[in-house]
Amino acid sequence: MAVCLLPAAAVLIWLLAPAPLPERWSESEAALIASFSLSALPPLRPDPSNAAADDERAKMLGRQLFFDSRLSANGAVSCASCHRPELAFTDGLPIAVGMGPGRRHTPGLLGIAYSPWFYWDGRRDSQWAQALTPLETHFEQGAGRAAIVRLLATDPDYKDMYEEIFGALPDPARLPDSASPLGGDAGQEAWRMLDPGLKHELSAAFANAGKALAAYQRKLLPGKSRFDEYADAVARDRATRQGDMLSREEIAGLDLFIGEAQCVNCHNGPLFTNHEFHNTGILPVFGQLPSLGRFDGVRLAREDPFNCLGEFSDAAPGQCAELRFARDDNELAGAHKTPGLRNVTLTAPYMHTGQIATLGEVMRHYNEAPTAMLGHNEAKPLGLSNRQLRQLEAFLHTLKAAPP
Amino acid sequence: MNFRLPIALALLFAPVLAWTGEQAEFSVITEGGNRLHISSDLSPLEINRMHSWRLRLTDADGAPVANARFEVQGGMPDHDHGLPTRPEVTDEVEPGVYLLQGLRFHMPGRWLIEFGIGLGEDADRASLEFEL
Repeated sequence: MAVCLLPAAAVLIWLLAPAPLPERWSESEAALIASFSLSALPPLRPDPSNAAADDERAKMLGRQLFFDSRLSANGAVSCASCHRPELAFTDGLPIAVGMGPGRRHTPGLLGIAYSPWFYWDGRRDSQWAQALTPLETHFEQGAGRAAIVRLLATDPDYKDMYEEIFGALPDPARLPDSASPLGGDAGQEAWRMLDPGLKHELSAAFANAGKALAAYQRKLLPGKSRFDEYADAVARDRATRQGDMLSREEIAGLDLFIGEAQCVNCHNGPLFTNHEFHNTGILPVFGQLPSLGRFDGVRLAREDPFNCLGEFSDAAPGQCAELRFARDDNELAGAHKTPGLRNVTLTAPYMHTGQIATLGEVMRHYNEAPTAMLGHNEAKPLGLSNRQLRQLEAFLHTLKAAPP
Repeated sequence: MNFRLPIALALLFAPVLAWTGEQAEFSVITEGGNRLHISSDLSPLEINRMHSWRLRLTDADGAPVANARFEVQGGMPDHDHGLPTRPEVTDEVEPGVYLLQGLRFHMPGRWLIEFGIGLGEDADRASLEFEL
């Protein structure tokens, strides 16, 4: 009897035993792992479209604006209402709620300044152009252009800080209470009635508010995680076990991440994103049409008056390569931006409309790679075991860092 | 030893074969028998960086081919997707030397770039394959 059970027990042990880890990473694996470390993050490049991007005074102004709920029509919504620092600047909701229900899941902000495109569909080509959009959008902050500039011109602290950086603000006596090309009907009508010169002054001052917000937000970077310590150790010595820095399961997850699971194809570099747009067959929210994603986003970025080539940008046209050479064909239908994975355990739910509640379900989604409702899913089924999916998830937990 | 077979194979695959090591320099023979020499201002190539290439087009005798028109497409055949950008030749910086701007590769793996080349009334083609 015992003889009969032995082979069965051996098979069982083989099935359940931890997958053997190599003693050492290969040279190319070690180089890849080191390339994910925050130590490999290059200095942030200047933003030529924002002359105040690296101005400390603009950063101070931007920080105050970011947390100020007076930048909303009802006085209750600030940028930080959805971008909560303790949740890696996300909000824990499937879809953002500002003045009203939003359209998209709130993306995190840590390290996002490294991206050439903003929003899940890349509808803005700079961080300052992005920062302006919620201020005017009726279901986000809905304050409107005139109200934002009026606040800057009437709050003595804001006025002093602004004028020291950007020069004189328009005289508040000349400003309507509410006027915005993107506001409600009354706001839009008020905007149409304005003198073109005042419209330009208002838009320029509004753009500067966005540039100050960007000066603050671009300095929000992720902190070092357990993984970074491990990656730096691997860069010095290719042994897979580095004391107890990462558990066996976490290291096995990393092995899958850079290998069989192919995550690294899109989630690469120290921020674990290529900042690009991919269709990975994410189903739309029940009852909604699938999002056109980047197909719409590139058109919207080109139409945006605050883009890199627009009159409020500080860049020369030659410095706007991303916008000038942006691709815009049908293949981009349903493609959304690859999010970074640092602090991913703090930013549930997942995907552009928060369709997937947990990381475990995200792993299963990529393992199955379902057919896309719109366009085609670039990912292919992986055929990983449940245990491997859990290892991948365990690895993602190592990317968590203390809030900045 | 007979070298004819390897030489014939090398000639056959010349239009799609071309990595000259770490430096981002490529050279391919076009279908029409011209030579397209490519040098990247980002060298070695790396992912997620916007950059430009210089395309030097010469005929079989090595003379520059001026006034060519380029159409550049490409992608990753293994992932069924194209380039993340729409690169364009924006200038002929000297006779036969063209500036291709707006290139960025966003994934590691095998990339295929196809050059459509207009020469007056004639059309020529070349393709380049490389691994990042």
